[in-house]
Amino acid sequence: MIKTRTKILVVDDDPDFREAITVILQSAGHKTVEAVNAADGAGKLLAERPDLVLLDIMMDNLFDGYSLCHAIKTAKEFESVRNTPIIFVSAVKTIAGSRFGFKGEDVGLTGPDDYMDKPVKAAELLARINRILAK
Amino acid sequence: MPERAIRVLVIDDEEAMRDACGQILRRGGYEVDTAADGAEGIRKIADLRPDAVIVDLKMPGTSGFEVLDSLPAVDPHIAAVVITGYATIDTAVEAMKRGACDFLPKPFTPQELRIILARGLERRRLVLEAEALRREKKALEEHFITMVSHQLRSPLVAVRQYFEVILAGLAGHPDARMLQMIQRAGDRLDGLLRLINDWLDLARLQQKSPLDRFKAFDAGAMLDRLVQTLAPVVRDAGLSLEWEPPAGPGPIVQGDEESLEQAFANLVHNAVQYNRPQGRVRVALFDDPDAVRIEVEDSGIGIAAKHIPFLFDQFYRIADGEGTKPKGSGLGLAIVKAIVDAHGGRIDVRSEPGAGTVFSVRLPKPRPGETPG
Repeated sequence: MIKTRTKILVVDDDPDFREAITVILQSAGHKTVEAVNAADGAGKLLAERPDLVLLDIMMDNLFDGYSLCHAIKTAKEFESVRNTPIIFVSAVKTIAGSRFGFKGEDVGLTGPDDYMDKPVKAAELLARINRILAK
Repeated sequence: MPERAIRVLVIDDEEAMRDACGQILRRGGYEVDTAADGAEGIRKIADLRPDAVIVDLKMPGTSGFEVLDSLPAVDPHIAAVVITGYATIDTAVEAMKRGACDFLPKPFTPQELRIILARGLERRRLVLEAEALRREKKALEEHFITMVSHQLRSPLVAVRQYFEVILAGLAGHPDARMLQMIQRAGDRLDGLLRLINDWLDLARLQQKSPLDRFKAFDAGAMLDRLVQTLAPVVRDAGLSLEWEPPAGPGPIVQGDEESLEQAFANLVHNAVQYNRPQGRVRVALFDDPDAVRIEVEDSGIGIAAKHIPFLFDQFYRIADGEGTKPKGSGLGLAIVKAIVDAHGGRIDVRSEPGAGTVFSVRLPKPRPGETPG
């Protein structure tokens, strides 16, 4: 069986962050696709069928990431890509120490498979991705 | 630019009146529906959700007044114009009291009808707009701090992320001196990010009390979880951790569990930071008769008495006398105090320079008769 490289979709409105993450991912041999906002992310997800999505929480609007994640995991139009693992990557800390005032799960939005705080350490990002893809 | 046509419902038991009003209003560009009696009128209001209602007062069966009474439940801002052939001041006053925005005695001219309807609709439009603006303002206020936080953090995070890539050796091979400078630049950025996080926490606490999120919870379980989470941090600093997990269910506290976790996390982080090599950090929980008391103790350098009154002030920092820049934002204790105050509690400090410091937080217990949960 031919082993294909994993393809990762990076959805973030910050071009510098996209570039930095792309360097990290490509250094580990992953293929990358970039999207600049939630709508672009939705389109690329359906068109490119990545193996995993890195999703920023706040983009054009306050809760873009949460809305897209919820849609991917519940809406009919994303049925074909429903099981694509999603990792939230955000500058807004969600762990104890500094809290985001909004929790998607509190208002019934389906959450991601994992959370990571920005900035990410290269080694940790790659390890988390491998762990999730191994499932 | 008009979005959708304005819909008007005409309720009158006289067919001629319904037809006439329908013609007049359709010529004015409105979408018109009609009902021949009060009961049909009430049904159609619920189904069609018109912007305005023209209603005759005297009808057999359900009267115009009863129709008016039914409106607030469906749409409190519907424009209701009452028409009647039996116009008296008393009926006019009564109609206005029941929510009509205007009163038109029969017979009336087409122009009178259109003018009065337009007036009522304009009022409705303004009321709806004011409500929408109020909602938007509230949403903005609540999210303002989060938005500012995002704007401040994003560029810093982008820079820090680039540094991470360089430090991981993924952008070429910088020499040792470059690496050291980038490492130090990264540390300063981390400090700035922490300051922003802390400052925004404080601003959020001051703007909106955690009171809204108060629930009863087990203080012992909360502390135990927190200590387990922070144990690696204490160990990595070469310190020993003393904590006795409670034997049974812990004392119940009424409060916001998340912000209290943050407060105690701050105290433990301080205890780690201002400690001595091979020192210890002790966390203890006491179920006193009138309060739940939590103590965080360190075996560090201690705090001179002269500093104690200012300890919880924002940005109050004590230089450790060795010329090194204090780590942290200077807001940690201010945040702890804000959280404890919001819970109606007290925080005290006992310290002996050279020996150590104990922070003691007392949280009020729910009064007897207050059922938890």
